[in-house]
Amino acid sequence: MIQLNRITAKFGFIVSFLFIFSLFVNTVSAQGDADQGKALFQTNCSSCHSLFKDATGPALTGVEDRWPSREKIHAWVHNSSAVLASGDPYANALFAKYNKTAMTKFQGILSDKDIDAILDYIKSAKQPAAPAAGQSGESSQSSGSDNSLLYIIVTGILLVASFILWQVNNNLKKLADKKEGHAAIGHIPWYRNKKIIAFVAILIFIYVGFWLSSNAISINRQFDYEPRQPIFYSHKVHAGINQINCLYCHTNAQYSRHATIPPLNVCMNCHKAITSYSGPALKDAEGNDIDGTAEIQKLYSYAGFKPGPGAVYDPSKAKPIPWIRIHNLPDHVYFNHSQHVMVGKVQCQTCHGEITKMDEVKQFAPLTMGWCVNCHRTTAVQFKDNGFYSIYEKYHQELKDGKIDSVTVQMIGGTDCQKCHY
Amino acid sequence: MKTLSVIATIFVTGIVLVSCDHVRRSPGHLYMPDMFISRAYETYDQRDSAQFTTDISKAGEKIFYNNMPVAGTIARDEDLPFPLSQDKPGDTTNYIASKLIENPEAPLTAAEATEMHRLYLINCGICHGAKMDGNGPLYNGGNGPFSSAPKNLLGDPIVSVMPEGQMFYSIQYGKNMMGSYASQLSRKQRWQLVHYIKAIQNKTKKLPVSPADVADSTVLDNIKL
Repeated sequence: MIQLNRITAKFGFIVSFLFIFSLFVNTVSAQGDADQGKALFQTNCSSCHSLFKDATGPALTGVEDRWPSREKIHAWVHNSSAVLASGDPYANALFAKYNKTAMTKFQGILSDKDIDAILDYIKSAKQPAAPAAGQSGESSQSSGSDNSLLYIIVTGILLVASFILWQVNNNLKKLADKKEGHAAIGHIPWYRNKKIIAFVAILIFIYVGFWLSSNAISINRQFDYEPRQPIFYSHKVHAGINQINCLYCHTNAQYSRHATIPPLNVCMNCHKAITSYSGPALKDAEGNDIDGTAEIQKLYSYAGFKPGPGAVYDPSKAKPIPWIRIHNLPDHVYFNHSQHVMVGKVQCQTCHGEITKMDEVKQFAPLTMGWCVNCHRTTAVQFKDNGFYSIYEKYHQELKDGKIDSVTVQMIGGTDCQKCHY
Repeated sequence: MKTLSVIATIFVTGIVLVSCDHVRRSPGHLYMPDMFISRAYETYDQRDSAQFTTDISKAGEKIFYNNMPVAGTIARDEDLPFPLSQDKPGDTTNYIASKLIENPEAPLTAAEATEMHRLYLINCGICHGAKMDGNGPLYNGGNGPFSSAPKNLLGDPIVSVMPEGQMFYSIQYGKNMMGSYASQLSRKQRWQLVHYIKAIQNKTKKLPVSPADVADSTVLDNIKL
């Protein structure tokens, strides 16, 4: 009896082990299928199909609910035009909805098993939760940098303290005079004291003089100018977070005097697909919340574009966005972007500041003549191996002799009046 | 009473000075606007609609000007126009026909290849990736804002063997989610870029780089993806 019990126990153990093992193998292989499906999906499908968003083709979540059977999907993926020719009503409606863009034939590229793996992956994929608003946004509202309030409070406290001390001093003096028997002088209130009136008058004169002259100087200068633009276009999001090169949009900074604002078709290169904003929370300079998706909608209204299945951007329907120019040079100054960007190899940030951290762009440089000339005095030009400067034989000789170590813009005429004024 | 008014004035002035808005939304004043603002029409200036029109049918009444060069204009040093027009939606005739068009640009020199590398990184790398692997910062393995996967220029079975004319068609007119790059790259640059991409594709696959794409075998030596 005991023997029998032992045997059943052993048998039971082996059976349960096998069962658990087979379960384990099953889950592993299912996992493997989904992984394989994901890889296949990304290589073959994801250029035109997203999981949760219509792109060139429809979003693929729930695709099996839309088609009658997997066999039909196999046939469609292998040769979509054959399915269309067979007169399938759903397929033809889909084709018409997506602008009659034919799907690539995957016959010979994807087997039935591959397609099944992809379908399994699509079924198992879950929509990523939208990040909570403001979660990843930066909370630092540039505090700490502005200490003016602190200075004012400290100054106020010191002023009150000195006023009290002065009063105390006066009273003590009065008491001392009384004790020593001097004749008491008639009481003069502090605001009629000549010394104080003279002191305040001088202070007001200095303050008003400084205020007047500094304001007079700053007329014509637009330092820190930060206009409200028709669309809240954040350079921080585009050039900073998404790492788009400045010259992608401002192409002509390489070839012309103007950096140029990109035409709408450059915006639509990406925003045909990017219809909503999901990055860190946006705030304007005053601290108001900005809805990025609504700003993209503004772009669409200028571009005459309606996002949706099979949407086509038609540039002839677009109307220009009235952007407001920030950097204004007087008419009597000539400035050329290509000369600085391509020949001088000056980084955009040198004159425009940390543009990759600015949501709203403001004028970073004073753009005064002193500022231009200072840079021309100190910046060395690329002199060696540069055919453009071969005529400056004297400097080449001096460089060779070691008399000078670099040639600045000023030395080749960069501070001559007619360089910029003509 | 007098004392009180003096103190109140100082206090109010202080508050006004402190509470000044630090965001400068207005450009301020000008001393002599006629010396500052150009009298000629500058780029992007809004034109007086009483004198100018962008509508060709009103050209007799007003001055017609729409910023566009005359149709058929070819810039100096520029290639001849691409002979095929863009397909209508749903049609692929010209896209297929573009396979037969030859690249008119001479093979790249080393300097030109370096320049094309620079232009690739600026204009294409953002989606197709600096390494041409179809994983630029905008897609970022599906985590970026751009939801459609850009083509892997080196590994994709179709694009890696695509004829040069068809690549040019896609850059000129766009394809699927890709837009047209005709406004960012000149025709000459577009054709040279096609040479460059083709050369890198062959080099990566350890195939001989076509002498039609590069002037000699050392041209790509200094380019690191």
